[in-house]
Amino acid sequence: MPSVILRDTKLQGNITQRDSITIDGELIGDINKAEEIIVSENGKIKGNILADRNIEVLGQVVGDLTSDRIHLGSNSKIKGKLFHKSLVVDEGAQLEISASTKNKVNNNKKI
Amino acid sequence: MFFKSNKKSDNQIEGFSHLGESLRFEGEIDCKGEIEIAGRVKGNIKAKKLKILETGSVNGVINAEEVEILGYMNGNVESVNIHIGAKACVRGQFSFENNLSILDGADISGRVRKAKKENIKKADTDKIKYLEHSKAS
Repeated sequence: MPSVILRDTKLQGNITQRDSITIDGELIGDINKAEEIIVSENGKIKGNILADRNIEVLGQVVGDLTSDRIHLGSNSKIKGKLFHKSLVVDEGAQLEISASTKNKVNNNKKI
Repeated sequence: MFFKSNKKSDNQIEGFSHLGESLRFEGEIDCKGEIEIAGRVKGNIKAKKLKILETGSVNGVINAEEVEILGYMNGNVESVNIHIGAKACVRGQFSFENNLSILDGADISGRVRKAKKENIKKADTDKIKYLEHSKAS
């Protein structure tokens, strides 16, 4: 069952999720080993996020992003390093990143 | 204190946050609305309304206005209303202000206490009186 965190919720700590997770609230901490991470418009993450399949960001992320596919929406603000197979950036995204494309994205953190 | 909480309810949003079955979380949760937990949480939770589903498990201190426990809970609960379901397994201390309901079959061990909320109100009215007095003078 996927998780949803709305904008009235603030989390402080690390999340491990084997499913998809949507964040519209605030998270200070890492997300490990999720399948899909969606950061909505009001979402704010301070920490490293790691997904197997897909990361979609419409909000703000400060930290490293690791996933097969990364999509940065038009109002997103990102600061950190990206590791990905394919990257999509929409017009208007505010970035302060270093990106590196890899054939295989390693998920070193196995839990 | 009470004025503040009124303000928050103005920009309240519909729906609730949901932590899924496969989610593990370690840390603090601060939710101004409703939250539902089906995964495992280790840490303190502050919320307006908290529901621990049958697959959910919480280890820590809960501070909420309304708590519904249908799963596993270990730690202290402080709330206005507490509801404990039939399949729940609960360990720890409870303190509630208004209602506590426990369904037949719940596994509980711990302390239950009814907290008085009058103290808080009294302090507030005293404060208001003091403020009015100081304004007038």
